[in-house]
Amino acid sequence: MIPPSTHKYADVIHRLEAGGSMLPDTPENLEQIIGIYKAYAVPMDFYWRDLLYIAERVFLNPLPAFKYFISKQYMDLANSYSGDNSKLRIWRGGEKAHPELVAFMKRGETISMPKILHHLWHDRINMEFAEACMQAMFWHQDMGGRFNDYLESKAYLANADRAIKAYFKGNPLMLLLYKLFPEMFIEQVRQLSYYSNLGLFWEVMAPVFFEMSDLYDEGGINSVPEAMDFLVNGIFAVAGRPIYHHVYMGNECIEIIPKSEGFTWLYEAALPYVEAVFYRTSPFRGTKSYNAQANQVPADQADFHYGILYADVYPVGSAGIPPTLLMQDMLHFLPAYLEATYQNHGRGDEDKLIQLGITFQRSMYNVTSAVIQALRCALLYPLTDPDLEHLLANRRFFEAQMDRFLRPEARLSDIQQQNYR
Amino acid sequence: MASILNTAAEAGCFKTLLAAVAAAGLSEALDGPGPFTVFAPVDDAFAALPAGTVQTLVDNPPQLARILKYHVLAGAYPQAQLVSQSDWPSLEGAPIPIRRSEPFEVKNATVINADIVCDNGVVHVIDRVILPG
Amino acid sequence: MLIVLLIIPLLIGLLQPLIASDSRRLRSIAAVAPSIQLCLGIWFLKNPPDSISIEWLPQLGLKLELGVDGLSLPLVILTAILTLLAICASQLEYVRPRLYYPLLLSVNLGLITAFLAQNALLFVLAYELILIPTTLLVAIWGGSQRAGAAIRFLIYGAISGVILLGVVLCFGWLNRSGLNFSYSSLSQASLPFNQQRWLLIGVLVAFCLKLPIVPLHGWQPKTYSQAPTPVVMLMSGAVSKMGAYGLLRFGLEFLPDGWMYWSPLIAALGAFSAIYGALNAIAQKDIRLLIAYSSIGHMGMLMLALAAATTLSLQGVMAQMLAHGLIIALLFNLVGLIELKTGTRSIAELSGLMNPQRGLPFTSSLLLIGLMAAAGVPGLAGFVAELLIFEGSWKIFPWPTLACLLASGFTAVYAVRFFNRVGFGRLDPARANWVSTTWGERLPALILSLLVLIGGIWPTSLTGISEATTAQIAISNTSTNQLEQQS
Repeated sequence: MIPPSTHKYADVIHRLEAGGSMLPDTPENLEQIIGIYKAYAVPMDFYWRDLLYIAERVFLNPLPAFKYFISKQYMDLANSYSGDNSKLRIWRGGEKAHPELVAFMKRGETISMPKILHHLWHDRINMEFAEACMQAMFWHQDMGGRFNDYLESKAYLANADRAIKAYFKGNPLMLLLYKLFPEMFIEQVRQLSYYSNLGLFWEVMAPVFFEMSDLYDEGGINSVPEAMDFLVNGIFAVAGRPIYHHVYMGNECIEIIPKSEGFTWLYEAALPYVEAVFYRTSPFRGTKSYNAQANQVPADQADFHYGILYADVYPVGSAGIPPTLLMQDMLHFLPAYLEATYQNHGRGDEDKLIQLGITFQRSMYNVTSAVIQALRCALLYPLTDPDLEHLLANRRFFEAQMDRFLRPEARLSDIQQQNYR
Repeated sequence: MASILNTAAEAGCFKTLLAAVAAAGLSEALDGPGPFTVFAPVDDAFAALPAGTVQTLVDNPPQLARILKYHVLAGAYPQAQLVSQSDWPSLEGAPIPIRRSEPFEVKNATVINADIVCDNGVVHVIDRVILPG
Repeated sequence: MLIVLLIIPLLIGLLQPLIASDSRRLRSIAAVAPSIQLCLGIWFLKNPPDSISIEWLPQLGLKLELGVDGLSLPLVILTAILTLLAICASQLEYVRPRLYYPLLLSVNLGLITAFLAQNALLFVLAYELILIPTTLLVAIWGGSQRAGAAIRFLIYGAISGVILLGVVLCFGWLNRSGLNFSYSSLSQASLPFNQQRWLLIGVLVAFCLKLPIVPLHGWQPKTYSQAPTPVVMLMSGAVSKMGAYGLLRFGLEFLPDGWMYWSPLIAALGAFSAIYGALNAIAQKDIRLLIAYSSIGHMGMLMLALAAATTLSLQGVMAQMLAHGLIIALLFNLVGLIELKTGTRSIAELSGLMNPQRGLPFTSSLLLIGLMAAAGVPGLAGFVAELLIFEGSWKIFPWPTLACLLASGFTAVYAVRFFNRVGFGRLDPARANWVSTTWGERLPALILSLLVLIGGIWPTSLTGISEATTAQIAISNTSTNQLEQQS
């Protein structure tokens, strides 16, 4: 056995080494995170479908005013990991859009009206949040995997060129613009490739969360480490899933990023996503002004610390904060037990957004723990390895991960307390 | 001496590996002149991966090929030569670190049986599937 | 009919403690009085009532002479509104409610009598009448340092009353048509210029103690910060207007020549007061004191307009009396609400109250409206008043007007700084352990905000009633040429 750690977060590290999560294992934590996973998965079901719809169908539409008006085909698009015909079935439910999602899209918070009225009243799923996540991945670029380098390669440029020309066939104005400003169009296509990337990533996460919620309801998950283990197994099971970008124009399908390039869900989607969205993201315009000359925003992109793991949840509900959009979405799909919990704490109905935002933060620490444990499992040694050298290597890995939470904005110490709500 | 693939087939504990190589379409390449250094995970190594991992990879040959290529070096290197360098470039592109020489460890896998010489290269038997990253 | 305005608070105030002892019922009963007054006041807008003249103490010349004109009716309505809202803003937890509500109603009685009085001695009587109830209200229900504040207030007020009594008695003795204190007689008295000059000094001192105007303002910051919220709403909104009203009547109407003589001094005092109040407000760390000094600043602008005494500037005086009455009551109400909920009145300890989930979003939104109104942002009542004041005084007293413009700019400074610190920024979750405001708590501020908004987009509501009367008073003072001719 190795001696205890002397890191500031030693107790968290010891918990991780014992197979646990960064989030303490209490029944209340478990109830909260499962509930919020389910509330997150329903809008996520819309996000991934619409992301693919935009990447594959809307594509380079110069005035995509209706990009959130997802087609029935994509609402019915079979999720590869649920439904009876799934090859690797994760969720026991159906492969089409979740029934709660369909119900919400009909009615919203108001009444049943034509879709355009819901859209204009902003009584809909806040797709802008998904696009903000995509923008974060797109902008941060170098977060591991080979996806980003491929976007600069000759093969990609050739594919993109083909796709652009095919899309604007018969449109001399746009083709002329393309001749004049080719880089602009290629950059748009790169962004759309990230749309596809994120859509394929979330296509997996939604059934994982739905299944976790169903298991919890029937008593199959009884502790936070069990929930985390489910996520770890899910990560491995889907790790090899191909990441691609296909565009459909009429009957034609152009493969801008073909599956044969070998991009995997784990390396090209999941790990960059966690890095870009959980850790880095970007400062939110609207809550405070950042003085660039005073270096209030780090010059080094890797130093960005605006993701959910570092987020100050209290300003949620104010304008200009993309996570507010997500919290608002989740508010509509809270399971009953979570609604009851929120009623009995804080200001009851009035500050549900803050309460569920903090719950969401806890749950994402759990997901991050799953990613950390999965990485340890893939690249390092088992937790019960008899070799001391191996255990020390694991320890060093965990400590390096915890080092990222040493900065004052990290919420790791807050989530250890139950009164943080 | 037999080729790498034949040696593996004869050993009897590489059924999953051989099936994967076939599914990924790498059989012809690995039967070529090479020479290659192959880190071959035993069947138990694949079984130790969480359920569904191998299935997903087998269903997607390009992705499977990438993982398999990570187990191959260009050139035939015995253990003595391998331990002299801290990492070696795999065919996949990512480096394979040599973490220990005694016992011989390649990334997070331990070499159970080293220096199995074949016609077109050397095989080292490992107890875990190694992954890039 | 006018007498009803006085009888209602008197009756209810006296009978109330006998009828009920429960705080909630007492509050409801007390609210009836100003409600009736308000309805009557609005009715009087369309149907001017007859004046009343009843002999009371003929030996002294004290008659119960009541009447409304363009100057007093708006102030009567303002008093009724503010009393009503002050009662609504009174907390049920106040001790000794059976004493509290009658005291409030007696302040109301005094104010209405003062505004309705057509007899100078009656006015002084009402003026003094208000003193004791307000002192008691501060002394019993005030903040931690209420004793000192109440004593100081009492002393300043008493001196003011004594000086005013002296002046009014002089009015009576010097009146060539015998010992007659009625306004009609005094306004035609035409005292010799010398007498006017010296009498006006007394008038000025007495009412500047009330408004207050620097350097006679010593009681105000302490008292306004220690008084309970409803009392300070009434005091700053209505009682201080008695000072302005007195200056209009006793100064401008009865001593016009003396007024013209002293007007440069009055203008200078006003300008100085405006700048002094604004600069002090910028420096404050206590939310109540900030609003109190803001009030001094606005009263300074009012003095400037009084000094200029043109038609336009006197309309500005009336507008400012009404607008400021509403705005300052709104600000004190909100600030009191913030103090109640957060438990602190220090700006350093407050931040992020606009947080929509856990802050006080409704209260701080109304606070923003109130601060904008105080700063004179167009669309709200404060702008109307300030515009009229500056336009009306500019030709007569350019430099003091510029100083007041500067003070108005400073108002924006402290308003923005204050709200930036308190409303915006990050809410400290450790402090955010209050229950959000109920609609009952929000109601007074909401009504005041609406009135401030209406005053801003419908300026006639502030000046329309008084236009004719102020024009009459102003006509005799339109040009400074007369001043130069006389001296």
